[in-house]
Amino acid sequence: MSIIDDILNETDPVKIREETERNYREHVNPFALRMFKNASLDIIEGKRSGASVWDISGKRYIDCVTGAGIFNVGRHNTQIVEALKKALDRYDMGGWISIIRERALLAKKLSDITPGGLKYSLFCCGGGEAIEVAIKLARGHTDRTEIICMENGYHGVTGFALPATGRDVYKAPFAPLAPGYRHVPFNDIRAVEEAITEDTAAILLEPIQGEGGIRPADDEYLRGLRKICDENDVLLVFDEVQTGFGRTGKMFCAEHSGVVPDIMVLAKSLSGGFYPISCAVFTEEISDFLMTHPFIIINSFGGTSLGALVALAAIEFIEENDLPAHAHIMGKRFIKGLLALKEKYPDLVIDVRGMGLMLGIEFPEESIGPRMAYQLNQNGVISIYTFNNPKIIRIMPTLVITEDEVDFVVQAFDKSLKEIRAQEVRFKK
Amino acid sequence: MATSEEIMEALADFQQQCNNNKRLRRMQRDWTKVLHFKGTETGDYFTMTVEKGEITRNEKGDNGVPDIIVETDSETLCDMFWGDINPTQKYLRGEIKVKGSQEDIMRIDAITAIIWPEV
Repeated sequence: MSIIDDILNETDPVKIREETERNYREHVNPFALRMFKNASLDIIEGKRSGASVWDISGKRYIDCVTGAGIFNVGRHNTQIVEALKKALDRYDMGGWISIIRERALLAKKLSDITPGGLKYSLFCCGGGEAIEVAIKLARGHTDRTEIICMENGYHGVTGFALPATGRDVYKAPFAPLAPGYRHVPFNDIRAVEEAITEDTAAILLEPIQGEGGIRPADDEYLRGLRKICDENDVLLVFDEVQTGFGRTGKMFCAEHSGVVPDIMVLAKSLSGGFYPISCAVFTEEISDFLMTHPFIIINSFGGTSLGALVALAAIEFIEENDLPAHAHIMGKRFIKGLLALKEKYPDLVIDVRGMGLMLGIEFPEESIGPRMAYQLNQNGVISIYTFNNPKIIRIMPTLVITEDEVDFVVQAFDKSLKEIRAQEVRFKK
Repeated sequence: MATSEEIMEALADFQQQCNNNKRLRRMQRDWTKVLHFKGTETGDYFTMTVEKGEITRNEKGDNGVPDIIVETDSETLCDMFWGDINPTQKYLRGEIKVKGSQEDIMRIDAITAIIWPEV
């Protein structure tokens, strides 16, 4: 038997847990394991399907984290499995120096489905890498250096992306970082106006701040940013890593406001939940920079035959099943249920917000987010607070979640809030 | 119920264990904080000052501006400093109240994990 058979055929949950925890403790990250166990997030995923994940012990959870938007098409989507199997029967990744047919087809598809004049795509593997591509394109195209980004924004933790992430805790140990990044308050158009200089290359933001606490940008704010960019020859970059591919009730979040960026960064669900792939999609005008520097931004594993085929299959599934519309309907159902809980627990729930199936529920203090995540996990829902704002629990299930599953999650919130309220009463005694 | 003296004794032991642990001092070298601990049933406060990973002072009372406030019964406070409980588990289960950033709470847990890895 091969090592793969050994791994896949082992079904004893006790043995699997002991082996996995030992290897995590000794070879991966002992403190992360401890944190997972403390938070009751030490789920070792077994079966995965639709909106659900089963721990190896057989306990079912509704996944409301989905890797912050990786699994829009559902966990272990069988249609994508078939696509990947077919691709594997014929291809490997494809030679980096070759012309890759599937990459070109995916780029065309992205040009077709993204708004406005977004036309060309540069592919890489992760969201942070794609943000780096966007920043390089912005600097290369404009011959300017400064990037205006948002406080509490999150754009990944790699080289050029890390300085754009608007929280010091991610950055402090790694100084000095790449210079030329300026952070302004989110949703504050005056702050951007005051920050613009002759050296501003781009304004970078998420149309809904994910890790910042599920905070949507106002439509007027986005239109104001577009106007500022047009007047100052500055590029507008939307990070749609979490919001893309139907998550917010439209294929891309930019469609809600009608504001078209010059560069859109995509990742997460482009992978279909199977094959890492990300990209920056940009206008023809920006592509001029690549005419003179065609091989200046390269990536060995970005836009491979396999990755591109999986991405095409994922997009096909999203379109055929109209997942954006389903996300909109299920999001409304969530909001209705959560607003009822806000009425029931006015001392604990400050706000319910978001779009489609990118939702957040805000609590009055930071400790409640982690405690709620713990309670929700006890009640069969995988959840976590937003990393830049622990007062908020995110709700980002797969976009194939059913009405019954939405109701289950809302009921789990009800039970969890009841327990948190009891804890608060005990503290006050 | 633990007395103030018993809590101060536990704090002193905790201080010694932390400050004598080179690995911990290196890990926490960028951590400078004021921590308040409150015994909920007694109302007694204790202040711990950490400077660059070294616990420099333990005092009775709520002195200085706290970065973190930990509230629980006096017995649990003692248990925490003696290493008899996992404070993060207690916090997430709502048995210890902590006001502060999640990063600082993780730092406290890291201290516990290094000194008492079996807890």
